[in-house]
Amino acid sequence: MRWLKIVHRVLLAVPVALGVAVLAFFSLHLLPGDPVQIMLGETNTSAATIRAVQHELHLDQPLHVQLALFFAQLAHGDLGTSIVQQRPVAALIAEALPATIELTAATIVIAVLIAVPMGLASALRPRSWIDRAVLSTSLLGASMPAFWFGLLLILFFAVNARLLPTSGQIDPTIGVPPVTGLLLIDSLLAGNGAAVVSVLRHLLLPALTLGVVFAAVLARTVRSSMIDVLHRQYVTTARAKGLPETAVVIKHALRNALIPAITVAGLQIGELLGGNMIVETVFAWPGLGRLVVNSIFARDYLMVQAAVMLYALTYVAANLAVDVAYTVLDPRMDVT
Amino acid sequence: MHVILIAAALCVALLGGTRGDAAKALSFVLDTTANRATEAQAIVAQLGRAGINAQVRVWQLSVLIAQVRAGQRAAYTTDWGSAYFDPYDLAVPKFVTNARGNFSFYSNPAVDHDMAVASSTPNEAQRKTAYYDAQRKIYSDAPWAFGYVLQNVEAQSSAVSGWAPAPDNSETMYPASVRGGDTIIVGMRNDSIAPLDPGTPPNDREAVLRNIFDGLVGAAPDGKVVRQLATSWRKVGPAVYDFTLRPGVKFQNGDPVTADDVVFTFQRVLTPGAISGVSSTRKDLLGPILRVQKLDESHVRFVYSASFPELLVLQSLVHFQIVPQKYVQQVGEAGFIAKPIGAGAFRFVRGALNSEIVLERYDGYWAGPAKLRQVIFRMMPEPSSRIAALLSGEVQVIQEVPPDLVDRLKASPNVQVKTAEGTRSYEIEFNVKAEPFTDPRVRQAVNYAINWDPILRDIYHGYGTRLATAFLPSGFGYDASLKPYPYDPAKARELLKQAGY
Repeated sequence: MRWLKIVHRVLLAVPVALGVAVLAFFSLHLLPGDPVQIMLGETNTSAATIRAVQHELHLDQPLHVQLALFFAQLAHGDLGTSIVQQRPVAALIAEALPATIELTAATIVIAVLIAVPMGLASALRPRSWIDRAVLSTSLLGASMPAFWFGLLLILFFAVNARLLPTSGQIDPTIGVPPVTGLLLIDSLLAGNGAAVVSVLRHLLLPALTLGVVFAAVLARTVRSSMIDVLHRQYVTTARAKGLPETAVVIKHALRNALIPAITVAGLQIGELLGGNMIVETVFAWPGLGRLVVNSIFARDYLMVQAAVMLYALTYVAANLAVDVAYTVLDPRMDVT
Repeated sequence: MHVILIAAALCVALLGGTRGDAAKALSFVLDTTANRATEAQAIVAQLGRAGINAQVRVWQLSVLIAQVRAGQRAAYTTDWGSAYFDPYDLAVPKFVTNARGNFSFYSNPAVDHDMAVASSTPNEAQRKTAYYDAQRKIYSDAPWAFGYVLQNVEAQSSAVSGWAPAPDNSETMYPASVRGGDTIIVGMRNDSIAPLDPGTPPNDREAVLRNIFDGLVGAAPDGKVVRQLATSWRKVGPAVYDFTLRPGVKFQNGDPVTADDVVFTFQRVLTPGAISGVSSTRKDLLGPILRVQKLDESHVRFVYSASFPELLVLQSLVHFQIVPQKYVQQVGEAGFIAKPIGAGAFRFVRGALNSEIVLERYDGYWAGPAKLRQVIFRMMPEPSSRIAALLSGEVQVIQEVPPDLVDRLKASPNVQVKTAEGTRSYEIEFNVKAEPFTDPRVRQAVNYAINWDPILRDIYHGYGTRLATAFLPSGFGYDASLKPYPYDPAKARELLKQAGY
């Protein structure tokens, strides 16, 4: 029954993705600017050549014809060719997505490692100095501009202390045969220890930059739901049974307190998987955020439509994953 | 009731006050983009001192350009680069009636005539005279508030020698070497570059591309044309040039470079739809070309539809690198961009266009192998990150150092800041077909009312040079005796008065 519901939710994602693609298509065409002219800029190109290229790329067709062409290609599993890069859109996404997935995963690990202990510590002693410290640091973390914080980390850890690399994904002199595109996995598959270390060292600063913001939000959620849960009757009962305090906190309280935290995390993961243009730019990280923002500036219609569809699917998947996680944490719940 | 009366009286007084001024003040919106907003604000403040009421509006670049092309804006900050060391690619497209870059809609038949002469006559003295004449006419017509040219500021580790920045941002790595190593990593200013195919439109990828591919001729870092796969050329008619190929040159896969490869390279560009079904947009860079034909195994002929000066022929050929016909046909267009092969000093090893591209020395290079074993181009779009990487020793060369960050680099003993003369004019263009800029006196007044010196000093930290028009000091036919409009607000007021303001 649960599986059926999951399949149902996955199928529902298809019209959502197509719907946002149509919306993206029309809103992009509302923007002034022609992709061929933007691409050529000031290159010596005659009006005739520009018209010929626009025709070859079907940009001279009426909008509904262009949209129909897009869907016809999509039906054949083809996302089309990027106007600007003149490469398949699918290849461009496949090139950028693994970098974003890798950074998202590292961000989550760092955020959870920071947020859960912080949230717990402050919930256990509300209004104490620890609580106040946690609340103020998380406020600071949530309001810090990622651009500035990232540069600060680079300056401190990479330029001055020389502990970590400034940017990039891996030492560029190390070549790892691409299998999954995820550099950490590929390095492990290749059995290349130096590559694994290099990948992890490169991941640390960008993941910390994104993770601090994420952790700030998460720590506050863990704190408030933990305070709420600690006042519930079942916690009092657990204590009255004579269970040690750690068991009460970890087994009875934290497990229940995590449900709202997972909701928050799910939304954040959806956002992280979209890529973060700013952090990717600062750390020269070849992720999705940069690709999509630049495609919007270049009016690379097909590229943006594909990315928007991917975003919609990511959000649907993240929400679904949250719902499934609920059922694990609270067996009374079911996927809706 | 009294309140309403007083309010009404105030309104009448206010409206009447603005309307009742002896002459209306010149007012307009100065359209700009985020990267030049500070400059535009400074200009607007200066204009205010000459009694001109201007306001800044900031746009996203592609939206602004679309609006400008449609003739919907009055005055806008913009810029235009030259791929040639000749006004043929800057002043010509910007000022000739209806030319591709003429966004001020300027039209002067005398200037059109000068430019047509300069673009076709083979006589250098005549070309120069025509360009000189055009400069003076453009100066007094003032279709723009003429601006400045910026230097290209790049930086390197002190261990690097033999490298210099180029006016066109290309990176010639063949003569470079690095003390205590054999690899140079270049921090590129790009987010990603387009596929490494010399047939598609020229842009920032040229920096990488020209290390993999050679053309018949190439450009040295100082912009001079140098012989590459051609050893000599001869003008056999006003519109016909014959090129002799360098003997014994091999592509990186071992195939010889033949006249067939040269013809194929240009046919690929000239034939509509030849590259994966899309026409090459590079073809118009060739000028009035008719065909490229093979004379024998080592000679090719370029036939133009009209007389085309030798300087322009050579400057245009710098943009065309020779591709291996057999290889391209064997692996297809997709295979070619996945693993490009050329006759340049470095061969492509691996890489992704949005992160890093690894090149290795090609030992069979016709001029002898490069000193470096490896060159890596890394995409690093954020200037602060490029600087951090250079300071920490992760990269050895970085492109585009913003002028306000130069001091941070100069403080470090291990890096050197280097500059090259730029090839881009930055200016404010007026829509001369629309009010209030139809009157040349108004346009001249704005030229007199802007003081560029403090802008170049404070915003661009001295890395800019004023231009009298849009002719660059580095280009052919530049008239150094023509001085930029001086800052003279009194003169501006006087001109405006004459124009009825």
